[in-house]
Amino acid sequence: MTARSPQYGPGTSVVAINRRKQMDPTHKLTTMRNITDEDIVLLLGHRAPGASFKTMHPPITEQQEPSCPMRHLVKPTEGAKHGDRVRYVQFADSMFNAPCQPYQRTYTEMYRFRGIDPGTLSGRQIVECRERDLEQYCRLLIETEMFDPALVSLRGATVHGHSLRLSEDGMQFDALQRCMLGKDGMVRYVKDQIGLPLNRMVEVGKPLDQKWLKEHSTIFHCLVGTALRDDAEYVEYLQRIHTLRTRYGFMPREA
Amino acid sequence: MNTITTYPQCRIVPMRLLGPDTTQRLLDRIVKVPGIRRMLLNGQNIPAVVPYGPARGAKNETRLRKTIEIAGNSVDLHVQVGTITLEIEDKTVIEQIRAICDEFFVDFPCSVQEGRFMKSQPSLVDYAKYGPEADPSVIGLVDPKRKEKPSLIHPLGDRVCGGCEL
Repeated sequence: MTARSPQYGPGTSVVAINRRKQMDPTHKLTTMRNITDEDIVLLLGHRAPGASFKTMHPPITEQQEPSCPMRHLVKPTEGAKHGDRVRYVQFADSMFNAPCQPYQRTYTEMYRFRGIDPGTLSGRQIVECRERDLEQYCRLLIETEMFDPALVSLRGATVHGHSLRLSEDGMQFDALQRCMLGKDGMVRYVKDQIGLPLNRMVEVGKPLDQKWLKEHSTIFHCLVGTALRDDAEYVEYLQRIHTLRTRYGFMPREA
Repeated sequence: MNTITTYPQCRIVPMRLLGPDTTQRLLDRIVKVPGIRRMLLNGQNIPAVVPYGPARGAKNETRLRKTIEIAGNSVDLHVQVGTITLEIEDKTVIEQIRAICDEFFVDFPCSVQEGRFMKSQPSLVDYAKYGPEADPSVIGLVDPKRKEKPSLIHPLGDRVCGGCEL
């Protein structure tokens, strides 16, 4: 029997290829910018920089764990090992060729991360996990090609903006204006993800250009990007899913 | 009460949402065009305080919400402007508006649409707030649920007032 190689998703378009790249945990995502640990802590706003992690239970090594084969099999994440509390990060991705989008985020995180609880909505995606793990995962989500300073933003609350026209400077609409485009072309966060002002600005780099965004987007958009109808394989896949669900409900067996 | 008007209307729809400074520069040009009866700015609300989440109630420090000067009149801008609807005396004004927009918007496109965009009859909420003798010029110009009043702008730059009594 040959080993199964995961396909991750259908499609022949550049959007489909980008989706597969992000989902494939063996594919190394390109690092586009660097951000310090302290900056991540500031953006998340869950603890003060340098403060210790708050815990919700003692470290696992100090606990009396029941004898369970699953507990021997599944190694705890660093956060779980230390008993960290569960915290969250939430992203809003503009429909104008943002490099990621909520469903894609969830798929990608489920393939790449452990111990997470994602929540997927149309315009935003929240992921919950142990605080120590969260900060590690955030690094990948912000530093790599999954992030664009103008079209993707951290928004814990008041997330509205993903489906709106962009602001005149090319930034995604944000009623709380958590990040701003400077005259030097750099985007800086002046508030944390829930909208509280930061003591100092956090720089997240320059917005990526339209050509790059179009080539690296994971969103179909018939006006500014790649149209779904141009990807015949993707359309066929979606039609098949739709047909099976319509005919057979939750038992999608073909006759 | 029927306030159906026969005045033509047009709507300016830029491809991007406008900041307060750009809005002020655009409106400074538009208000000088004779024949504009009423003007309505639509857009996404910029709250004064954080409305949701753990920071709810905290002041929303932003550059998007500010007071702009239009022809010498102060107007509190609460939205990031997405569309500007105009009610005009006759259709010849639309061409002047279009010419201004074509000249003004150079970084991104803008369309000037003709049609009916303002509320033409008072709704139940209008009736509850303004009563049966409501000023027809106010209907459709301001959200009846808001406490703010519409601004009166004199096109020649002489200040009339910052808001009218209803």
